[in-house]
Amino acid sequence: MSHLKVNNVTMRFSGVVALNDISLNVNKGEIFSLIGPNGSGKSTLFNCINGFNRPQKGGISYNGSDLCKTASHDVINTGISRTFQNIQNVPYMTVLDNVLLGAHSRIDAKFTLSRWLLKSYREKEEALALEIMDFLGIANYESKYMSGQPYGIQKLVEIARALVPKPQLILMDEPAAGMNDQETHEIAKIISEIRDHLDITVMVVEHDMNLVMSISDRIGVLDSGKLITVGLPDEVKAHPKVLEAYLGEGFNA
Amino acid sequence: MKGRYQDENLKWIPALIALVILLPFMLKGMTFSYKYYLYILNTIGIYIILTVGLDILSGYTGLISLGHAGFMAIGAYSSAILVDQVGLPFGLSLIISPIIAGLFGFIIGFPALRISGMYLGLTTMGFGFIIRRLIIALREWTQGSGGLVVSSPELFGFTIKGDWANYFLVWTFALLTIVASRRMMKSKIGRAFMAIRDSEQAAQASGINLAQYKMMSFFISGVFAGLAGVLMAHTNHFISTDHFDNMLSIYFIIMVLVGGMGSIYGAVLGTIFIVFLENLIVPVVEGWLHAMFQNEAGDIESLIFGLIMFLFIIFQPTGLYGMWLKIRIYWKLFPFNPKQKFT
Amino acid sequence: MKRITTIIMFVMTLGLIGCSGPAGSPGITENEILIGNVQDLSGPMKELGKIIPAGSNLYFDHVNNNGGVHGRKIRMLVEDAQYNPQKTVVAVKKLIEKEQVFCLYNVIGTSPAEAVRPLLAESEIPLIAPATQSGTMSDMSRPAAEYIFHTDTGYDIQSGILIDYAKGMDKNAVIGVIYQDDDYGENVIKGVEESEAEMGITVQKESFQRGATDFAGQVMNLMKGGCTHVIIAGIVKEPIIIMKTASAMGFSPQFMGISPTMDHRVALAAGPAGEGFIAANFAQLWNSDYDVPKLYRELCERAEVPEAMMGMYHYYGFSTAIVLVEGLKRAGKNPTRKKLIRGMETFNNWDGAGTQPLTYNRNDHAGAESVILVQILDGVQTTITDWLK
Repeated sequence: MSHLKVNNVTMRFSGVVALNDISLNVNKGEIFSLIGPNGSGKSTLFNCINGFNRPQKGGISYNGSDLCKTASHDVINTGISRTFQNIQNVPYMTVLDNVLLGAHSRIDAKFTLSRWLLKSYREKEEALALEIMDFLGIANYESKYMSGQPYGIQKLVEIARALVPKPQLILMDEPAAGMNDQETHEIAKIISEIRDHLDITVMVVEHDMNLVMSISDRIGVLDSGKLITVGLPDEVKAHPKVLEAYLGEGFNA
Repeated sequence: MKGRYQDENLKWIPALIALVILLPFMLKGMTFSYKYYLYILNTIGIYIILTVGLDILSGYTGLISLGHAGFMAIGAYSSAILVDQVGLPFGLSLIISPIIAGLFGFIIGFPALRISGMYLGLTTMGFGFIIRRLIIALREWTQGSGGLVVSSPELFGFTIKGDWANYFLVWTFALLTIVASRRMMKSKIGRAFMAIRDSEQAAQASGINLAQYKMMSFFISGVFAGLAGVLMAHTNHFISTDHFDNMLSIYFIIMVLVGGMGSIYGAVLGTIFIVFLENLIVPVVEGWLHAMFQNEAGDIESLIFGLIMFLFIIFQPTGLYGMWLKIRIYWKLFPFNPKQKFT
Repeated sequence: MKRITTIIMFVMTLGLIGCSGPAGSPGITENEILIGNVQDLSGPMKELGKIIPAGSNLYFDHVNNNGGVHGRKIRMLVEDAQYNPQKTVVAVKKLIEKEQVFCLYNVIGTSPAEAVRPLLAESEIPLIAPATQSGTMSDMSRPAAEYIFHTDTGYDIQSGILIDYAKGMDKNAVIGVIYQDDDYGENVIKGVEESEAEMGITVQKESFQRGATDFAGQVMNLMKGGCTHVIIAGIVKEPIIIMKTASAMGFSPQFMGISPTMDHRVALAAGPAGEGFIAANFAQLWNSDYDVPKLYRELCERAEVPEAMMGMYHYYGFSTAIVLVEGLKRAGKNPTRKKLIRGMETFNNWDGAGTQPLTYNRNDHAGAESVILVQILDGVQTTITDWLK
């Protein structure tokens, strides 16, 4: 069953074609990975889904809503959240607050005053975040300030922030970038758990091939703004164009 | 439930309230000239209301304003006109006048959607000039640049007059401002402001409408500045356009900067520090220098302020509040190597 | 909890001890009278802020060397408020509450002086000779007016007199005014508008912002309007630049100025462009041959006052100091603030201060309502009229 539909999307930045007539579908409940060399347009596609960039041609729809006409701050309300390639956290806020930032759309403005006055309301609010932080194993960092936390923790906080709004689809932009093998392994586990336990569809942009091959249900390959192929991990691995364009000779999985 | 009580910093509030109540009595016991110090404390209270509001805008949301004296002027003049010419009760003006200032903030928020940094600074500075011109132009109500005499406030049938009454009026609102702002900054709104400051993309992806929240920040900041203006008008009993010159706006930014941008207590500490420095330390230093250089030492005050701002930006960008946090962590870890980074 | 209660009790006790104030009048001791002055020592008018109190001290030193006032020497404290009303309030608060001065004297600037009104009423402290020529200063219907003794002629009165004089010179005079767009200019315009209504004339009005240094546009407009007489409501630098600009444009009306322009530096700096400039003055000309100016020059010479300092502003400090000393004399041997006010209110056409004759009574604290006109002739300021009303 098709969930996210990208139809003939073309995106140009002053002459440079970042995305060239891309069409793909992401099905509900799957882990879909996008791979491709640097500058092939993976993040641009995410930005188009997210409303940061507006494609010149084509359309993106999600569960019937037209994402090309949705303001970027409203995308979350259609059920899509995302993480960023370079960590986008608020350094001078506690970890808990950073996670709660993601709960923005779930906190009703109607009770603002009650929340300022009553502790119980604030605790209810915190519970939203603590649930997810427990799930990711970072609950004991709650009162620490974001700045100065190790890189791995910051990545996890970012994922937590994207999970708090209870999305149906999460876009993860290079979740394992800059991580060691151990941490990458854990991220892989977390991504699978997000799908298995939280029933969230996952779309990942990633460079780490081991990670991609181990978790993905399907993989799309981008090169210079063109979608080369979409298929199961084994198919993609064997695709001659993919080997040529991206994997090169070094890849031996 | 694992959630730690988030506002643990509010545990200082009872102590602060006790201090605010006791301080005037202590001063009275210690010195004949307590009324002078009481007046300085009133000034600090009024400025705190404004700098906390300015900190919400510039420190938390990252939108610089060099025209906050303008918002203060709007609050002050609105209230003077509403109470003395329209005949509204002071209690009502206390609500309406800050909102008028807030609405001006809302309007200034529009350009802030497109510009930031130095350009926003210049725009807001221009706003300060425009407001002063506007007040002069509306001389029918404001008596132009000649200034306006303002009545004493009346609340619940009591006339608030004299340094003591002013002190408790001003500090009631100053404390309310501190508590309310801290709560606000620890809520959805404050998180949204900080997210806008540090990462607009993360803010948007989390569902924060940038335009809406930037305007809201300007509105809230304007309301606090307006409130400070109302209190200043009614406790000083005289306002003129010269009260709200652009130096004052810059002075406010210095207070927030020295205290530590993006922390409510920082704004409070910075305000206290700068006002004390100006009124109690600078005259002494000036006295020494005049004695040393035979009366030919020029404008020491600007020199000292410039130097302090310079030193803080270079060596202590987190301000006085950051300094305090560092000291606290140092003592907590004292016997062990306290090299751990301040986080 | 117990500890907190103890602390509260302790502090309250401290507060009660502090309740007894100092005996007698503040600022008065066996051999000293302390007075407070607020000047601009580091703001936009810092030049005047040093010169005016220096003039005052010249006279106070003279009095102190001759035995003081009823045996008490006068000591003046000068606070810096940068011409800012808010800072002036803080400075006055300090002078009254911390330094415990006997009276205030010479607070400079219109809005600063206006801003301290509430404090005067609160502490019942007189303010002698506020250094502003705003007509509203001595308006008896304003708050705390009973504590203010104004020595200067209001700007509104001055502009009226100048218009009268211009019309006297030439019946068909077309009058223009170029004014500083602040409280000072506003006061001048108030007088101009009164004259307009009274005489049925229209005066061309051009404004400039305080601190402006380019007046070409305004001068051009006045030239286009065909003005034969132009009144300048500026301070020192403005008349110089305006007259030079006009001269360069080939525009030569009769320039006239409100009292702040009556500075000998105008004659020096404007050169030939300033020849014939008429300025209003509410005191005797400092280099004229009246008694007080003579004493002034004699004391200046004895104290070796530098030439650059001497002039109308220095003399202003000097002559208002004479007014204050006379008031203190009339307050009697055991002065109180009330007695000083009473003493000031006995002035009746008193002309011992080198200013115009001063009159104060319970219903009138304006003191002065006339000016003398001074013209630059051959580069030297010369008195050309008697006191005009």
